[in-house]
Amino acid sequence: MKKLAIVTVFAALMMISSAAFAQTANGTLTVTATVTGSIQLVFNSDASGVALASGAGTNTATLAFGPVSAFGAVAAGIVRSTTATTFTVSSAVDVLVSKTNSASANYTLKAQLGAADAVNNWTVGGVAVTNAAQSTVTATGTYAANSNFPVAITVPFTTASGTVINNTINYTATAN
Amino acid sequence: MLNKRKSIRNLALAVLLTSASALAQTTASGVINATLVNKNGISLQFDTDASGVTLGASGTAAASVNFGVISAFGPLAGGVTRPVVTAANFTVRTIFDVQVIQGGLTSTSYTLTANLAAAAPTGFAYKVDTVTLTTAAQTIQTTGTYNTDVAHNLDLVVSTAAPGAGGPATGTPITATINFTATAN
Repeated sequence: MKKLAIVTVFAALMMISSAAFAQTANGTLTVTATVTGSIQLVFNSDASGVALASGAGTNTATLAFGPVSAFGAVAAGIVRSTTATTFTVSSAVDVLVSKTNSASANYTLKAQLGAADAVNNWTVGGVAVTNAAQSTVTATGTYAANSNFPVAITVPFTTASGTVINNTINYTATAN
Repeated sequence: MLNKRKSIRNLALAVLLTSASALAQTTASGVINATLVNKNGISLQFDTDASGVTLGASGTAAASVNFGVISAFGPLAGGVTRPVVTAANFTVRTIFDVQVIQGGLTSTSYTLTANLAAAAPTGFAYKVDTVTLTTAAQTIQTTGTYNTDVAHNLDLVVSTAAPGAGGPATGTPITATINFTATAN
């Protein structure tokens, strides 16, 4: 009995001693960051419009109408109207603006042509767009929802067949 | 007369003693018994990783890392990446090194644990590698290699909610302290 007690005490001492000698080292890392609100704009293909040729889901997309004419067949997703002297082709294009860490209720969307076009007229969401200044497409855009702002080009009948019409539209969304 | 004779004798004695002493100083020796007790131990330090943010007080056990201005979509500081953006949150990441140095141990590896010094600020979660930190110590690594920089990811998972709606405060620096402990295996 006595022997057992001695063995037990010895074992306990060994364990305490082992624990006491566990080697540790400590360090502290102070981490700092400053959060700022941000918004993001991306283009998405609209189900009723021409599928974006490239860049869907990004902020640099391509909309290719393909061959268009005043009276011939038009590709799926293109809406056409004509007047006595011009025809207009239009496609739905979705704009998705997301916000983070912001209490902003909505956004203002502006658009501007990248280069002057003295021949054709351009609209975004029904608002005339030129390269002279930004045009306000909407002042109350809804966040986190695909909003259809159709892109339309009005082409004079006098335009020669085979003419390539090409331009860039720069969009800017600003949190209100 | 007697005094004069005494003086001469004393002087002669002094000269003799001096010269004997000078002649005897040809060698000297001594022995010092030095004892050194080699105490074993380990230390931990944070080092800047080439791919990460430059640490404040790099090379010490009390370093700091500043992500700078972070957002879900805006630009980030050098050494900071944004591997994940979801509707609910975004993650910013930097890489830092931990170096654990040991001496006098038979241990071949160490276990690294970490914990937040206080509860995470609103809208924030902190991760080291894949481990989400709490105020309780959690194991980051069980077989750390001694005497070399071991890279670890430091992730900040930030809610995209607006301030006051579950999201973090904006425009002001938010700071947290992470405690690390390395234990010899």
